[in-house]
Amino acid sequence: MRQMREERKRDREEIRSLEGKVRQLESKDSRVETTTQQLQSTDQKLKETTLELQQTNLKVQTLQTKVDAPIASSQFGDAVQQYLGSHSFTVTGAAGGDFIYDQQSGALDDLHHASQNSFFFDWEPMVLYRPADWILFEGVLSTAFGSSGTGVDLSLADFQIFLNKYMTVVAGLFDQPFGDWYENQSPMWVNRFVTAPLPFGVEPVVPPAELGVQLRGGMQFGALGQDLDYTAWVGNGPSFTSPVLGAIVTSPTAVANSQTNGKSFGGRFRIYPLPVDTEWGRLELGASTYNGKWMNGNWYNSWGVDFNYFIGNLQTRGEWVQSYRQMPMGQAADNRQGWYVQGGYFLTDLNVPFFPDKLNSYVHRLEPLVRYSGVNQRGVSTDDIQAATGAGLGGTQVGLVPDFGINGSPATYAPHAREVALGLDYWIAPSIVWQNELDIELPRAGGVFVSPSGAQTPAGSIPNDRAFLSQFTIGF
Amino acid sequence: MKKIFVAIALAALAIGWTCPRVSAQDQDNLSPAEHKRLFREGAKLWPIYCNTCHNARPGSEKAPYEWNLIIMHMRTLANFPQQDTDAILEYLKSR
Repeated sequence: MRQMREERKRDREEIRSLEGKVRQLESKDSRVETTTQQLQSTDQKLKETTLELQQTNLKVQTLQTKVDAPIASSQFGDAVQQYLGSHSFTVTGAAGGDFIYDQQSGALDDLHHASQNSFFFDWEPMVLYRPADWILFEGVLSTAFGSSGTGVDLSLADFQIFLNKYMTVVAGLFDQPFGDWYENQSPMWVNRFVTAPLPFGVEPVVPPAELGVQLRGGMQFGALGQDLDYTAWVGNGPSFTSPVLGAIVTSPTAVANSQTNGKSFGGRFRIYPLPVDTEWGRLELGASTYNGKWMNGNWYNSWGVDFNYFIGNLQTRGEWVQSYRQMPMGQAADNRQGWYVQGGYFLTDLNVPFFPDKLNSYVHRLEPLVRYSGVNQRGVSTDDIQAATGAGLGGTQVGLVPDFGINGSPATYAPHAREVALGLDYWIAPSIVWQNELDIELPRAGGVFVSPSGAQTPAGSIPNDRAFLSQFTIGF
Repeated sequence: MKKIFVAIALAALAIGWTCPRVSAQDQDNLSPAEHKRLFREGAKLWPIYCNTCHNARPGSEKAPYEWNLIIMHMRTLANFPQQDTDAILEYLKSR
């Protein structure tokens, strides 16, 4: 019995020992399972990380390809435009320096005269500001170092509102939409000559600018290039320096200073009849009007016609202007006519046989020009001549002097001025030019001089003056 | 007379304001074929229209955004038809 008890005791101890081992084994198995799960999780993470790495590598490769490839100009442009913003701004305009030699052959009656030579400089920046694609602001300042020292003037300042395909509103200070000269031909790098033709020079027949509102537009009426356009406007003008025969029209600044109830209005119509595809050149035919009351009740009426034709290397243009001014105090009407016709030919195709190629390449840049212009009027105001040329200390008349783009010849102030201008332009680039001009004032008698009080005295013959002008101009 | 003037002016402005506008954005949304057509037309018009008043200046002289402004100025000054303005702008901006 005792032996059996001891065996049972041993068995129990053995069972307990085995149970302990089983528990140990179970514990070990649990740890193995946990470790296996951890290993599986780590393996999964490793796979995901490897995938991400592959994707990152792919992205890096793509970016590297993009970085290595040259950027398209359109993409660059878009990026710059996005950076600059939706409002855009630029400055264009022109600058020029000139030398003028004026040989005055004689006095215009008893006015002082003297041959002279001088340098001048002028800078006319044009600011263009575009807040949106339907509106533009345009402003031009004219800054010059001229015969009376430095000066700054506001030449243009207007808003342009594009209503639709056929209508644009222009509001503000604008060049006179009369013929082609003031709007299109007056910028110094556009004008083929240094000076303006006589009807648009020192004694303009129609006002050079206006403060008001325009409605304008153009349309095609046939094949490509067959266009017509219109401009209609109202403004503050006209105004004259004095109520005497021969007084000149004044600038919008003067009009603004002498506000009257007599507003002005006018229109211009142009047609371009030749289609581009026929290669017959470009022909423009235009007609303009300007009407208004000055001094609150006296009519000023004018009209003009113009043409412009160019084909190949040949360019011609011309204008005729007629004006009637009703005079106060029972005076006879002040009627004037002015005209010019000019032509130029680029020597691009001329090869002088005995010239070397280098010399011919200079010849190709030349454009010889000729212009004939004139003004007819019964009288001119001596006050205007003195004001145009300035007075010295104590009111002493200092003479008829040149200024930027003005040759200063007394003959150009005469009642019946006639001028032949010969030009030779050397084009360095499409908007960089060295211009040379010889002005020949033709003698012609007739007309009267009118004093500020209105007293009239017969004018003597027009002096037979000569002037040479040389100008370097950049349009930018 | 003054009343007639004012009436005509107001009527013209009203018509103008209510007509559909053409903007530069419209030109950005054109198809490649339409861009090509405008370019070809612009190449024909550029030497003719520009030389009517001054020497034609190459597109490379200015940045494309500057041509956007200058063509607006020229459209007003020369009263170009809208479709011709678009064609010349396309040509100038292609440089």
